[in-house]
Amino acid sequence: MTIKESAMTAPTLIAPRLGFKKFTGRRRRLSTSAKVAGGFLLLMVLVALIAPVLSPYDPIVGDATQRLLPLLSDGHVLGTDGQGRDVLSRLIWGARPSLLAGIIPVIIGGGVGTVLGLVAGLGSARVNSVVMRILDVFYAFPAVMLAIAISAALGPGISNAILALSLVNIPPVARVAETEVLRIKDAAFMETARLSGASWFSIAFRQALPAAGPGILVFCTGLIGLSIVYAAGLGFLGLGLTPPTAEWGLMVNELRQYTFSAPIVALVPAVLILIVSIACNALGDGLRDRMDVRMEARA
Amino acid sequence: MVKFLGQRLLLVIPTLLGVAVIVFVIIRLIPGDPIASLVGPNSTAEARDELRERLGLNESIPVQFGIWLWNLVQGDAGNSIARQEPAFDLVLRAFSQTAVLSGAAAIIALVGGLALASMRVLSTNVFLQRASSFVSTFAMSAPQYSVALIFIVLFSVGLGWFPSGGTGSAMGGGFGTTLYYLVLPATAAALVPLGIIARMASSALRDVVTAGWVEQLHARGIPNWKVHLHILHNTVPSVLAISGLQVGYLLGGVVFIEIIFSWPGLGQAVYQAITQRDLPVIQAGILIAALAFVLVNLVVDVLQGLVDPRLRRA
Amino acid sequence: MTRTALSVKNLRVAFGKRKTQIVRGVSFDIAAGSTMVLLGESGSGKSVTAKAIMRLHDSTTSVSGDIHLGDVDLLAQKSGELGKIRGSKLAMIPQDPAASLDPLSRIGSQLAETIRRHGLAKSRADVTAIAVAQLEAVGISDATRALRAFPHQLSGGMQQRILIALAVMSKPGLLIADEPTTALDVTVQAQVLALFKELVSTLDAGLLLVTHDVGVAREIADTVGVMYAGRMVEYGPADEVLNNPSHPYTKALLNSLPEVGMPRGSLIPIAGQPPAAASIPSGCAFAPRCAFATAACTTDVPPTVTVGPNHTSACILALKNIEVAA
Repeated sequence: MTIKESAMTAPTLIAPRLGFKKFTGRRRRLSTSAKVAGGFLLLMVLVALIAPVLSPYDPIVGDATQRLLPLLSDGHVLGTDGQGRDVLSRLIWGARPSLLAGIIPVIIGGGVGTVLGLVAGLGSARVNSVVMRILDVFYAFPAVMLAIAISAALGPGISNAILALSLVNIPPVARVAETEVLRIKDAAFMETARLSGASWFSIAFRQALPAAGPGILVFCTGLIGLSIVYAAGLGFLGLGLTPPTAEWGLMVNELRQYTFSAPIVALVPAVLILIVSIACNALGDGLRDRMDVRMEARA
Repeated sequence: MVKFLGQRLLLVIPTLLGVAVIVFVIIRLIPGDPIASLVGPNSTAEARDELRERLGLNESIPVQFGIWLWNLVQGDAGNSIARQEPAFDLVLRAFSQTAVLSGAAAIIALVGGLALASMRVLSTNVFLQRASSFVSTFAMSAPQYSVALIFIVLFSVGLGWFPSGGTGSAMGGGFGTTLYYLVLPATAAALVPLGIIARMASSALRDVVTAGWVEQLHARGIPNWKVHLHILHNTVPSVLAISGLQVGYLLGGVVFIEIIFSWPGLGQAVYQAITQRDLPVIQAGILIAALAFVLVNLVVDVLQGLVDPRLRRA
Repeated sequence: MTRTALSVKNLRVAFGKRKTQIVRGVSFDIAAGSTMVLLGESGSGKSVTAKAIMRLHDSTTSVSGDIHLGDVDLLAQKSGELGKIRGSKLAMIPQDPAASLDPLSRIGSQLAETIRRHGLAKSRADVTAIAVAQLEAVGISDATRALRAFPHQLSGGMQQRILIALAVMSKPGLLIADEPTTALDVTVQAQVLALFKELVSTLDAGLLLVTHDVGVAREIADTVGVMYAGRMVEYGPADEVLNNPSHPYTKALLNSLPEVGMPRGSLIPIAGQPPAAASIPSGCAFAPRCAFATAACTTDVPPTVTVGPNHTSACILALKNIEVAA
């Protein structure tokens, strides 16, 4: 890097990431689809938070005389399931475990993965090689199978499912983190930090992390949608919460047997998960677009 | 080139070893007496002792691992508790079914994904561009189980166009019948890879189309069709990489499709084994899935090296 | 009388739906066997001018004016005809050699493609012979080995030479080089410029070289055109423009760029930024930054005034014959 180049990049790189609106003249707005997606997801979170207040019926106790009522029935907008429980109420109550099982693994896996990425990225070639090779081994397993295998080994239950999903999230985040760290590793400010005798921790967490952070963060937000889907998948397979708890994946499996007798109702939880997944991806895209514009303006 | 091949092959071995270690660890994580899990509840004390001796469970962990690995390499993963046949046999049979399903899904995903990518980058029609972008986002977000159920309700229950499950072997099998039974499950399985391929291929395509050398070809008067050939040639490496990864995931990740469509593949076999605590099958299943993934990646790596000379020098 | 390799009159280039004018009426001539350097900062429109002459813009860009290559009207040609002209009568040497060669094809095959395209040879043996000859002519000694190489295996200097070989193999009447030495090391720069000089004389071709580097202009230019905000603000013989500049922008530019031999501490940067193409002020585009601007400069577009033999300057002060202090 020439002196000129490092002089040009230094001010923007050292500037705190959150204040960089000042450095980019124009401000790109979040696309409408991303805003809609974000709004929808916020609604979901809200629903999860106030579930006890919002839910019209008890999610566990059902009225056997009212089983498999179709959509838009009197008093049951989304119908009832095989045990006469109101589908809408179960979905509302199910929001909490379903969303949490998606978000927590990303937080845990993201955290551990980022640290691993920092270690691999900032370390010597040998350290990097060892860490990445170990991660490659985990990459050899298709994520779905790995999640199922670990979950099965640990036994059913939501905390085991979360643990399994966290482990599955670590390799991808670590890889992205390593790439991001390598990208800024030789920047002028990193060299300055090294030359000034800073400790590894200081360099890693106060220099490298803020610089590589946004890229990693954007990737992790992209993982949330996938994580929610996987969590529901584990629920579908009976590897997470057990009945009669309301959880979206579990509901998909329970209603599956009524595909022919009550097809529309059977689809409701599956469609909801689909919509949530699309919303997460749309939001992730919107955020990424906005971030890229800033990175462009900086270059 | 040969050196490159050799290097790649060599790199695969430690990965496979690591895979074996992880499976070993996962199996050992299962609570309870491993012998009971391996032989089933209706075994005699003698049978259990004999197995314990044979598997070296009285030895230290590394030795156990060694014995286990040695058995594996010889094709012995134990016998399925539920079916009393060698686990590998059962698993390989199931895997061939998954391979058929994944193969069909891979073709659909590749063709569809590339079509969407071309539409996104090469078409001048704004509507087509937006549409392809929307479709690819939709496709890659679609959870397998949701799509599978929606397809069944729409095309099987609703329109009655396609069967809702099975491989058609009960109807006598045959290529045509299998194809007919394959349509819904393969398309459902193909959606996520299709979306991902569409996304990444359009970004790769865009990079190539806007490259400086493309303009230079025009500047030298090279005709358009020849320039397009150059562009195509340059897009192959990235598309190969992405598709390879997706095929790998398809081989091990179609569990939900298999369960919902009653397709007797690897995912379903492993899942059943989990519910039945059939350890040998779980073990063999995961190993085969991982092995297939590693091999597919190897093949993709080598093919990429063939196509893109810049990659040959690592 | 030497023939004119290229004649450009009142060239205008506008981008996009809003028709943002990037090049706003540029005129110049290049005689065969001579080199013209188009000098200016980023955003002055010099690269766009070069690309417009090559007709490489897509349909969203509008190009108007008059461009004659010898006696061929370039703007009237259809794409089929252009395909024959480009690479044979008119050739371009790009800025970034590493990005200008197909990374997946060997050099030999890329050369062969162009050789065959312009009908220079047919049989494999002939094509190879010409390829080798061309590479040697641009100073690549181990030509046979270079033919089998892929672009990434070669140095920047070699890549640039190959691009030059590709450009000159059909003996074009006009060469256009867009910042051909910017991506190269200084020592290699000198070699490439020497190569250009040699080619211009052997081919009796015109060379239009676009650059922001005054040193390059001094080294190689017969004529210099200085561009600012899409206009040619000064144009004339290299010696005159570079040593006896008439336009305030040229003077300021020469004073702000480092050159070998300058006394220390003598750089005077030009305050401010060139205007964005969409928001060019009325009157003289340079007026906001000009040390000698008058009130008239912000309202009237400065006329192009002849200040010497074949030497013009677009400045009101030149019109009034006011000597602009160096």
